[in-house]
Amino acid sequence: MTHDTDRRRSISDAARLAGLLERVGRQRDAQAFRALFDHFAPRIRSFLMNRRVSAALADDLTQDVMLAIWRRASSFDAAKASAATWIYTIARNAHIDHYRKAVRARKIDEHDPHFQPPDQPLPDDLYERAEAGQSVAGALSGLPDDQRLVLELAFTEGLSHSEIAERLDLPLGTVKSRVRLAMNKMRQGLGEWK
Amino acid sequence: MTQRGHVLDDSWYLDYAAGTLGTEAQDVMMASHVELSDEARGRVAALETLGGAMLDASDGEDVPLGFSVEDILRRAGSEEDETPSALPGATAVVDDSLCLPQALQDYLARTGTPVRWGFLGPGMRKAILWRGEHGERLWLLRAQPGVAIPHHGHRGSELTLVLKGSFWDGDQEYRPGDVEEAYPGVEHDIRIDEGGECVCLALTEGKLKFESPVLRAFQVFTGL
Repeated sequence: MTHDTDRRRSISDAARLAGLLERVGRQRDAQAFRALFDHFAPRIRSFLMNRRVSAALADDLTQDVMLAIWRRASSFDAAKASAATWIYTIARNAHIDHYRKAVRARKIDEHDPHFQPPDQPLPDDLYERAEAGQSVAGALSGLPDDQRLVLELAFTEGLSHSEIAERLDLPLGTVKSRVRLAMNKMRQGLGEWK
Repeated sequence: MTQRGHVLDDSWYLDYAAGTLGTEAQDVMMASHVELSDEARGRVAALETLGGAMLDASDGEDVPLGFSVEDILRRAGSEEDETPSALPGATAVVDDSLCLPQALQDYLARTGTPVRWGFLGPGMRKAILWRGEHGERLWLLRAQPGVAIPHHGHRGSELTLVLKGSFWDGDQEYRPGDVEEAYPGVEHDIRIDEGGECVCLALTEGKLKFESPVLRAFQVFTGL
């Protein structure tokens, strides 16, 4: 079945990325880092652009995130998170740190907000972790559209739940209950998310 | 799990995991809660996995990057030795007996915020750490065993995270890592457990509302 084939492919892809990150952490392997760069740098940059960062700043922050990946790779633990999750938290934190500094410097109105990092393995762990990452994506695609949309707006556009309510022109309580329902459903799907 | 307390509404974990909280004080409150509560950490980890899956699934844009991987490797090589100044031992200024979580200690060190205790009421002291532009306050409460905080309501919402010891609100006990969220209109009676002193981190939006005129007058002096 195509679905299974796709799923296998992304699992092996996730295992490959985790393996590359481990090689950077253990051996400072520049070749492995180049492969990670090719995969993640464009994604990090578009993640930042989606959060309404200027192109020039997105380039700067992406470089900072890639440098942080090189430096902190030895603290990556594939038993705890997938490579994508680990890198996501670094990119998110870089964005928040930048944003908070700008607020402190009074350059930005705090009420126009958007802009926060984190944590090598046995083949079995790698596989399991990669699989968990996949089933989250699977759980997401199994959610009703209105719940999935809320989570996508949060992560891809960097909107807070109250900004999501404004965007969708919904009462705050409705957005909160969609978040709650989505999380409950995903928790069931994943057996406590682990 | 419908009982009040212990963990927050899921929208808090979503905003934290997505990096969309409104203020730095909310970042510090949530990071402290997540550090101390296994349940909170599990929820956030799951959401971060989702964030990772979405990052991975996104297509990079067509716009070419304004830099190459060799730029990064060059920077890494030239700056290799001046690596991460471990967060300063500035935590030394904070009293260990307060049991402040690392996230809060880091914040205090990073911003150079002192912990200055002031009188709040009999057996209670407070230290305000941050004030927002709209009257929000991030503050520490330190209370002696058995102290009661009389019947009060809230004009805005308030998050109270236990860092040390425990308190009771009615028959609900709140222990380290637990958060109580109070909304406007919610009335409560807080009593510090007899077992030891209690230290809490609170984030308050809007003044507390006491029924007693004496306590209301008292607010003028305490700044709460």
